[in-house]
Amino acid sequence: MSSDARVTDVAYSRYDGPRAGRFAAIWSLARWSSLRALGARRGWKAKLIPITLILLGFAPGIVVLGLRALFGPSVFKGGLADALPYSDYAGIISIVILIFSVVVTPELVCPDRRDRTLSLYFSTAISRGDYVAGKVLAALMPILLVTLAPPLILYAGNMLFAVHPLAYLERHWLDIFRIIGAGLLIGIYYALVGLAVSSLTARRAFAVGGYLAFLAIPTVIGGVLAHALDERYLRLLAFAAVPLQAARGLYPGYSDEGHISAGVWAATSVELMVVALAVLAIRYGRDTG
Amino acid sequence: MSRNGGGEPLVEIEGVSKRYGSIVALDGVSATVRERAVGLLGANGAGKSTLMRVMLGLLPADTGTVKVLGIDASKPAWEVRRLLGYMPEHSCLPLGMTARDLVVHMGELRGLPRRVAVLRASEVLFQVGLEEERSRLIRTFSVGMKQRTNLAQAIVHSPGLVILDEPTNGLDPAGREEMLQLVRRLSSELGIAVVMSSHVLEDVARTCDSVIVLREGKVAATRAIDHSAAAVRGDMRVRIVGDPDGFARAARDHGLTVQLDGEGEDGWLVVRGGDADGVLTGVRDAAVAAGVGLRELRPAGPTLEESLIGAIG
Repeated sequence: MSSDARVTDVAYSRYDGPRAGRFAAIWSLARWSSLRALGARRGWKAKLIPITLILLGFAPGIVVLGLRALFGPSVFKGGLADALPYSDYAGIISIVILIFSVVVTPELVCPDRRDRTLSLYFSTAISRGDYVAGKVLAALMPILLVTLAPPLILYAGNMLFAVHPLAYLERHWLDIFRIIGAGLLIGIYYALVGLAVSSLTARRAFAVGGYLAFLAIPTVIGGVLAHALDERYLRLLAFAAVPLQAARGLYPGYSDEGHISAGVWAATSVELMVVALAVLAIRYGRDTG
Repeated sequence: MSRNGGGEPLVEIEGVSKRYGSIVALDGVSATVRERAVGLLGANGAGKSTLMRVMLGLLPADTGTVKVLGIDASKPAWEVRRLLGYMPEHSCLPLGMTARDLVVHMGELRGLPRRVAVLRASEVLFQVGLEEERSRLIRTFSVGMKQRTNLAQAIVHSPGLVILDEPTNGLDPAGREEMLQLVRRLSSELGIAVVMSSHVLEDVARTCDSVIVLREGKVAATRAIDHSAAAVRGDMRVRIVGDPDGFARAARDHGLTVQLDGEGEDGWLVVRGGDADGVLTGVRDAAVAAGVGLRELRPAGPTLEESLIGAIG
């Protein structure tokens, strides 16, 4: 037995120490929620899908860097950077990002409504606005694992495999901000839209279906009508692609086959995010008992 | 209510009204709470839950003011809420979490640093008798265990005042008994002031020091609840079939005093002499010894229920 062992009375004691404020409460809500959405403190089935999707998000970058490590610089004729441009990364794993957000965002809000936990939360130090802020943060943190972390890893690999890493950093330092900007734009978009759709129901299955329908149905309709009517702006109905196109516009040499500028895609992204915020404000702005 | 006098009021309610459309939930409610345990008593729809939600700042009052622990409950609500505990009436626990995780989480949401929240979660789960089940998912709990988890989350952050909305709702007799004992301990042993709503008078009488009766959104009555020795003294009023003098003699032989109140068979005998069990035993034995029958037996003074029955409606 350790000499430090003590017998402790598990009695209720008063706490008169410092108490944290609202921001700590929001952070606590975000941290607990995001960990649970990723399957923490739950069975292996709850962990399987999020972890698999995160690994798939990293896969293109890991494969490219792995090939470079195994076979040397000659394996990519145009150079390592051209093998997997940062601007294309999100597009390549777009389906992973989409499914990941569909898996994560309903898990963040549907159980609270199903179990009627909202009244419990609102009786604590957090307000309705704080709750929404916490949940947006909770959605954003895991989504950034697939929208931001993989291209950052790729950037780090490209720099390390460069003949002169510091020279690479000097030439491509702007790419860091482009990667962060693109990752945040895509992440915030999917977080807000996913939460807004999920807030409409207490049933997780309905939220998943509704979210997929929201992203897929306008995309199909917009694509068909754009082709039939030869109206390029109908392509903006591709809600799943909106943030990806806007993010691509952050990189030089952006071109869109439909001749829609990156600014229009970005404006559409912002509009949809504002609508999503409005939905959240309506859903959580009133008394929910 | 100011039975104890002195000290800052825990809650000051002044002219609070609240309407839901055409329905008046609260109509000019005024009350001051100073006691460590106060019951809000009233039938369903009397306005108890609404008043509690106004006290928590969850609902804005249409008119009037509410001060809780000296802080205006309406602004900033989060400031007062982190000093309060709240146990909602209906089931609202996240079923996919363990009791320990929930209590830690709620402690953090009410301002506790994480390390402190973890330590205190163990303390309060021990206090409510859930130390063995703390790592089980809440969905596997019985109703009673869920209610105790609900209570634990309400007191984890060492609140100055805890608001309990119908804490015995849905509990079986054993669970109700445990919950009432826990609620009484909050104010008597753990130093947490309690405002508890109930539509069961006995629950309030057993756990609170005073009661505010709400009826149709108004304060219908306020009473102190006396838990003193005099209050639990077992004075009885007895009506017998037989010789009252013989019964009185036999009762005196058992250490009781008997006073006649009224004439003939409809007259009452007021029997005094110690605690309720002692008096009841003495009355039984005296009746046997005197060979009389007992027609009616009831407490000598007006009960809390009798004094409130008109107000409760």
